[in-house]
Amino acid sequence: MNKNAFWILLGLGVVGLIAGSVGMWARLQYGHIPMAYGSYVPWGLWVAFDLIFLGLTAGAWIIVLLTYGFGRKQFERLGPLAVLTLLVSLLCEGIIISLDLGQPMRVYRFLVTPSFTSMLTWLVVCITAMWVIYLPMFYFLLRGKFARAGADADKDKYRAIIRILALINIPVGLAFFAVQGAFFAVMLNRPLWSSALAPFLFMAAAFLSGGALVTAMAAIFDRDKAVVTPLARIVLVLLIVFLLLEVVQFFIGYRTESSSAAAALNMIAFGPNWWAFWIVHLLIGSVVPLLLLLFRSGNSGSVAWACLLIVLTFLAVRYNAVVPDLAAYNLEGLDKFFVHKRLSQAYVPNLYEWLVSLWVVSLWVVVFLLGTRWLPVIPSEKGGEQHAS
Amino acid sequence: MSNRMPEEDPLIRMQRDLKRALAKKPSEIKWGMVIDIARCIGCHACTIGCVAENKLPPGVVYRPVVEQEIGQYPDVRRSFLPRPCVQCQNPPCVKACPVTATYSNDQGVVVMNYPRCIGCRYCLVACPYISRTSDFGEWYTDKTPDLQGKLVGREATAKSYEARPAAEYGEKWPERGHGSPVGNARKCHFCLHRLAVGMLPACVTTCVGRATFFGDRTDPKSLVSELIGSPRVMRLKEELGTQPAVYYLK
Repeated sequence: MNKNAFWILLGLGVVGLIAGSVGMWARLQYGHIPMAYGSYVPWGLWVAFDLIFLGLTAGAWIIVLLTYGFGRKQFERLGPLAVLTLLVSLLCEGIIISLDLGQPMRVYRFLVTPSFTSMLTWLVVCITAMWVIYLPMFYFLLRGKFARAGADADKDKYRAIIRILALINIPVGLAFFAVQGAFFAVMLNRPLWSSALAPFLFMAAAFLSGGALVTAMAAIFDRDKAVVTPLARIVLVLLIVFLLLEVVQFFIGYRTESSSAAAALNMIAFGPNWWAFWIVHLLIGSVVPLLLLLFRSGNSGSVAWACLLIVLTFLAVRYNAVVPDLAAYNLEGLDKFFVHKRLSQAYVPNLYEWLVSLWVVSLWVVVFLLGTRWLPVIPSEKGGEQHAS
Repeated sequence: MSNRMPEEDPLIRMQRDLKRALAKKPSEIKWGMVIDIARCIGCHACTIGCVAENKLPPGVVYRPVVEQEIGQYPDVRRSFLPRPCVQCQNPPCVKACPVTATYSNDQGVVVMNYPRCIGCRYCLVACPYISRTSDFGEWYTDKTPDLQGKLVGREATAKSYEARPAAEYGEKWPERGHGSPVGNARKCHFCLHRLAVGMLPACVTTCVGRATFFGDRTDPKSLVSELIGSPRVMRLKEELGTQPAVYYLK
């Protein structure tokens, strides 16, 4: 990444933090009162962003799997950068979901009185496991980079520890992404979630968005065709698989003629946010990247653009994965006779919710950029080593 | 002159049933409710009675009455369906709660442990009957003009009434705005605090059409037990296997 792009992005991140602090102030001062979600659509924009951050961690998992599961050593040098994206994403996920909680100071309850029948408990267990695996892995990856030339014994020791952590991470990560889908799929009688397809859709979504992010990083920071081209192909396959799963979801939803499933699908495709599905997700986030990855996978710039488009438009996917199912499921007439804005099926995120989201996304950008600046995470063969000194 | 014998008000019988139930060991009681849809006139008195009894804030409701208009003019009819928490005996909300803040008590009532709830709202999503609402911390008196030192005004109104908590679950809660239940999931609990002192739930006593019946469903002599045996009986979304303790008479 050149210097100008770095400073522009950092500047945008800081501006985002300043603008978003209005939303943060409202949330911390007035709690949930200024926000638009209610009891019939209890999760909104912040849960969509939570899923985005959870999904972005998949990039590091893919790199670790390729390096240590399949022995593709050319990806090894992407390790520190990929793990940095994972840690920053987990940090931001923790912040945004804490803001969504009604009583965030009680998160210690997960330790004191956990219920293992809840998929949320398992999600928290998996998130904790990811921290426990990746924090030391990051430390040893950096130690390996800091080790002086000639200190091969130390480097070998660090590599061995990283390898052990990586091997543990493969099943743990798989469980982590599966639980994200199961979290929704185990709900009873939900129009779109209550299906065996849901965990696969959520896993595919995580791998696609996380894979696209790490590929974009490789295309921006590394630019080595031996690394970027195979990653681009993986993202292409993931994109096709994800789109096929979406087709299956729509086909089954409409063919079963379940009124609530059809209502949720109609809300996605023809509701007030139809443009988010057709234009943002399908056109900009799928068709354009598909063409770029099909015909220009050898060009790092095109790959970077394709992958960034997938990541940047993925909010539309995550929003549609959460809100329409909640908004479409109701008891007919429930919200008509005891009327309150919190007891409505209609949900549109308000400015405060967007500002809080902007603050958290800006935090991601700033922490990530400063990480690339101050820590030796950029592939050493391609420069960036000066930051380590 | 009518030749019908005078009938006993079902409330009197239910009160007797309640007294008999309370004489049993608490773990031997299984509370149940029967709602006769044909008798419901859609007056919403039960909704309001519940809001008043539990001092529910704006956006929180335990027992709305769902209204449906069926058919097209001139062949139109209206149906009313009071929908409290149906107190599933196999409750999906309990399985969803990550911190055991909600559970089924000995008497088969799904209750909340407010100080334990983290406010994730997973239980709201898990409930197939949409019976739970979240307390977002709103006040009815927010827009009341503030006239300090006068009889009326926001401070006087809120402090004297709205800020004082209800005795839900028979416990003393902090003044509203100071912790739970603000930020928590809230739900119908069959007015356990009233039952404990021998009073029927607020929705039962306020029902103008005498459409709501309550009692120990394991007591064969109780009115609810008798009504549960009716061929008109049905439960909401029975196919889900949640086994509600609230029955409806079609």
